[in-house]
Amino acid sequence: MLRITLILLIGAAAFGQPAPVKKAVPRPAARSVKDLKFPPMKQVRLPDITSFTMANGMKVFLLENHELPLVRGSATIRAGNVFDPASKTGLSDIFGEVLRTGGTKKQTGDQLNEMLEGIAASIESGVGETSGSLSFNTLTEHSDKVLETFKDILTQPEFRQDKIDILKNQYRGVIARRNDEPGPIASREFDRLLYGPATPWGRMMEYETLDNIRREDLIAYHQRFYFPSNVILSIQGDFVTSTMRQKLEKLFADWTVKNEAVPPLPPVSQAPVPGVHLAAKNDVNQTFFRIGHLGGTLRDKDYAALEVMTDILGGGGFTSRLLKKIRSDMGLAYNVSASWNAQYDHTGTFYISGSTKSESTVDAIRAILGEVERIRTTEVTDEELRIAKESAVNSFVFNFDSPGKTLGRLVSYEYHGYPKDFIFQYQKALEAVTKADVLRVAKEHVKPENFTFVTVGKPADFKTPLSALNMPVKNIDLTIAEPKRTEAAATPQTLAKGRELIQRLQQAVGGVEKLSGVKDYSHTAEVKVLTVPGGLKVTQVTRIIPPKIRYEQKLPFGQISVYYDGAGGGWFKGPQGASPLPPPVAKQARDELFRLHTALWLSDRNSDRTVNAIGPAAFEIKDKEGNWIRIHLDEKTGLPAKANYTAPDRGGPVEAEAVYSDWKEVDGIRLPHKINVAQGGKPAAEIMVTEYKLNGSLTVEELSKQP
Amino acid sequence: MGLSWLRPLAPLLLAGSLAAQDLKEFEKKVTEFTLANGLHFIVLQRPQAPVVSMVTFVNVGSANDQTGRTGLAHMFEHMAFKGTDTLGTKNWLEEKKTLALIEQIYDRLEAERNKGPRASKEAVAKLEAELKAAIEKANGFVEKEAYSTLIQQNGGVGMNAGTSTDYTVYFYSLPSNRLELWFLLTSQVFRQPVMREFYKERDVVREERRMRIESNAQGKMVETLQMSAFLAHPQRTLIGHASDIENLRARDAEAFFRQYYVPTNMVMVIAGDVDPKEARRLADTYFSAMPTGPTPPRVLTREPDQEGERRAAVETPSQPLIFFGYKRPASDHADDAALSVLSSALASGRTGVLYKELVEQKKIALAAFASANFISQKYPGMFIFGAMPGVGKTLDENEKAILEIVERVKKEKFDDAVLSRVKNQVRAGLVRALDSNFGMAQQLAANYMLFGDWRRMFNRIQEIEKVTAEDVRRAAATYLSDTHKTVVYTKAPAKEEKK
Repeated sequence: MLRITLILLIGAAAFGQPAPVKKAVPRPAARSVKDLKFPPMKQVRLPDITSFTMANGMKVFLLENHELPLVRGSATIRAGNVFDPASKTGLSDIFGEVLRTGGTKKQTGDQLNEMLEGIAASIESGVGETSGSLSFNTLTEHSDKVLETFKDILTQPEFRQDKIDILKNQYRGVIARRNDEPGPIASREFDRLLYGPATPWGRMMEYETLDNIRREDLIAYHQRFYFPSNVILSIQGDFVTSTMRQKLEKLFADWTVKNEAVPPLPPVSQAPVPGVHLAAKNDVNQTFFRIGHLGGTLRDKDYAALEVMTDILGGGGFTSRLLKKIRSDMGLAYNVSASWNAQYDHTGTFYISGSTKSESTVDAIRAILGEVERIRTTEVTDEELRIAKESAVNSFVFNFDSPGKTLGRLVSYEYHGYPKDFIFQYQKALEAVTKADVLRVAKEHVKPENFTFVTVGKPADFKTPLSALNMPVKNIDLTIAEPKRTEAAATPQTLAKGRELIQRLQQAVGGVEKLSGVKDYSHTAEVKVLTVPGGLKVTQVTRIIPPKIRYEQKLPFGQISVYYDGAGGGWFKGPQGASPLPPPVAKQARDELFRLHTALWLSDRNSDRTVNAIGPAAFEIKDKEGNWIRIHLDEKTGLPAKANYTAPDRGGPVEAEAVYSDWKEVDGIRLPHKINVAQGGKPAAEIMVTEYKLNGSLTVEELSKQP
Repeated sequence: MGLSWLRPLAPLLLAGSLAAQDLKEFEKKVTEFTLANGLHFIVLQRPQAPVVSMVTFVNVGSANDQTGRTGLAHMFEHMAFKGTDTLGTKNWLEEKKTLALIEQIYDRLEAERNKGPRASKEAVAKLEAELKAAIEKANGFVEKEAYSTLIQQNGGVGMNAGTSTDYTVYFYSLPSNRLELWFLLTSQVFRQPVMREFYKERDVVREERRMRIESNAQGKMVETLQMSAFLAHPQRTLIGHASDIENLRARDAEAFFRQYYVPTNMVMVIAGDVDPKEARRLADTYFSAMPTGPTPPRVLTREPDQEGERRAAVETPSQPLIFFGYKRPASDHADDAALSVLSSALASGRTGVLYKELVEQKKIALAAFASANFISQKYPGMFIFGAMPGVGKTLDENEKAILEIVERVKKEKFDDAVLSRVKNQVRAGLVRALDSNFGMAQQLAANYMLFGDWRRMFNRIQEIEKVTAEDVRRAAATYLSDTHKTVVYTKAPAKEEKK
């Protein structure tokens, strides 16, 4: 058993010797700070931490502390999203959460929730970039029960499918919402540019990679990374160390799986990407910026000097140069700061970030660059260095203000292979930093010529354009890649089931014979467009002789007519006159043809299309051009209840959903007379079909004739 | 385990009704005293580590802002970091003169602008230039950020401040041997604040509004909910209207300070490694000279009864969101505990009704929440709900799903299991809160100032214990009424119509 006795190191490092107790002498009020005399800082008592390795190879750290009737603990697991396969980016996120929510062999996730929340305890799990964690927090009286459950989750998770589905659904929302707030866009795009968007350090979850993640992957993930010698367990709180040790030995005795050591982290090896990058976001009136390049690790010999340099330039609090200049002096920002942001185990990023009103974007960036230049070319003042050091020395005690902080640090050092006294070594290095060091590291490590500038804002309102920074300006495309639906695996079984489902539909609407008999088709509909304030009423007449389509829309401001000849040609006529068919309109026409009820419902007889079951009452129809639609049948009637497909929208394609109702028979075929369409999750249109006409002897002449 | 004497809070575990006993244990560590000028101190001894957290809690918030001067409470909060007549200046006498000059020029400028259409453009431009020059001149006397630098240099951490509808709070932590520094600086700032760099800080605050509200869809939603639900009561806005902020005057901030920052309207809490006798001595030494003043006026405006549902849209290209709130009484009302239990049962953890139904069962939301207190505790505020629809799901179906739940909790009682879960969590929450000097200091201050006694932190547990399932149902039925509901939702900006 190793007893960690850092207390010996402390006096020398920062706290001074304990002073003899003096009797307090009443003093008058100090008029100014210079009159204040502080008693010496008190000695910090470092907690007694016990560490040992269990027979199964799991490392354990225990910290007994009876201040509160609580027991808290955490397993740190060597894993991380940098190990995720590129095609399954997001795997670690899903795994980390479903480990907990998916329940164990003994209890479902819901049972765990009821049990834990009922006793005001928690167990939470997650996996980040380079480590995983499973933690618990409970009142002492429930600690045995919670610890057993904790072990169950760690070793016997079940990853039930329903919770995977819920979480994937939630992450779809996270993806859809990732461009809503400008601050997170700036930091995300900055990291992607710096690390490289295709590398494990820079890539991002997309609909497609999310779709690729399956339960088997979570099970495999657990087998690969969750084994005793890959775990550090730390527990603190209201227990007796020896008793807790016995409990753990007993509890984990049957967890003996072994596996190969986890490989080293993938290297960070990205060349600088200098230049200005703009993500246009026109609904904001501030520009959020992030400026910098790759930085370093906590192991670098210059780490302490770099921290001092960054602190003086733009560190925390209100005292930095950037804050004084950009905020206090120029009033250009509420937030502006610099961070060296070194990492334990891989190269971090050096960055300056903040936000300023759109107009002053370039002014603020120039002022920042001025401060960067100053710190690279002139020594900081004695005063600045003294303040930076004194702040660090005097606030050092806050690293020890709760025993848990010391425990957390020890676990981090152990996990990343740092010396146990790293914080004291660092403090010593910091005290030795000179003005010359600060200047040297600023020159060596801060390279404005390599800066990547990421700006998120409304360029039309910039008083000075970004091009005035004399660097190429590139646009960042925030378009979210559309989910590829081709991933629904097609097997002989699912294809057979797909046929069965579409045949059920055919029966329900009136039979194949009736459907095959439709040669032309027209309908008149009252459409209420809901995406316009107050709603917009449109009367639409559609006439189709496949593959030719013609439709007219009567709008309050005039009529629009469209004809598509089925071969790429056609015309468009609006209040402003006629023109050849614009490509987006041709695409819409083809989409309409693809979704034409009567033909769609016969897709199993069309060799260009596949019909594949994707659920007990749902199937997907795809054609060779990549068009797709998913139809969900009403389980009782066999009629289509709703369908999902992609529809064009201003910001790119969005997912649309049509909900069908008011089915009535027309010439022996049942057709929906009410269709509610939502796009991107918002109601988009209500369609009331006032008339369907099948086989109305339409002619190509009448379809193609311009009004 | 034979160490129970080390556990001052162990009785808490035995049964829920023992909060009174916990209070007795806890009271031993708390010392309270009031200076002759009315300034109240609460000292909590927690000697585990040689650090101490200090909270200055002032019973003034954005609700005290006057029409046309919204944002002033928050603006003053920013000024409290600008130093004193001895700290932050290179030459106070000259700086003071220049600050006075700025106000004179500004008066003349306003007088000219107030002529409206008859104002002389040249005179305005000339005065604006003079004003700018005077501001720059004053800037020359400033030792930038001297106040915060000094605190940081002495090992101060976590220095910040906050303004809410109800109160303003200032805080930081120091190594405990430097506690006297806090006494010195705080007493100077709150005896004689200086309006140093006021007009530059006003720009910073304006940027803060852009960041929090104008460039943030959720920020816009929150403010729209406030402004739609409250037509009269000043909890309509917290940070202030843009045009009000842009016209705030240093003189207004000074007058605001004199009116509200009087000893009887403030409480100071010190938590950590502190000797209460020493704290008392330092308090006498530094704060007894703080001048008294009349107790500031209360906010008398009451929101008129809402006569029907209100709905407001926020146009934004952001993904859909919906918030809605029901008017409810202030937190000193007898039904407060029942409403608090209701919000926990609906929204806490993975067992909350909203999460279970909207996220897990119906799969229509990414997240859904409820909160019993928006955006005030001191004044009648709102009980709010919110939801973030999932991809392809609508605001409408989320609103309907929540309303179904609302109707249900108005008719049906929660199970005992739910109530006991909520109560266990409230009790455990108190235990967990005891782990932080700063957290405790803030809670002691808030309970003292808003409810008259810090002990309410503990007594609250007993209030919650007493809540029955029927109390919760009745509170829901009483307050969650459509007539008193205000709904705010996002809407995609209008676009040119296409097929």
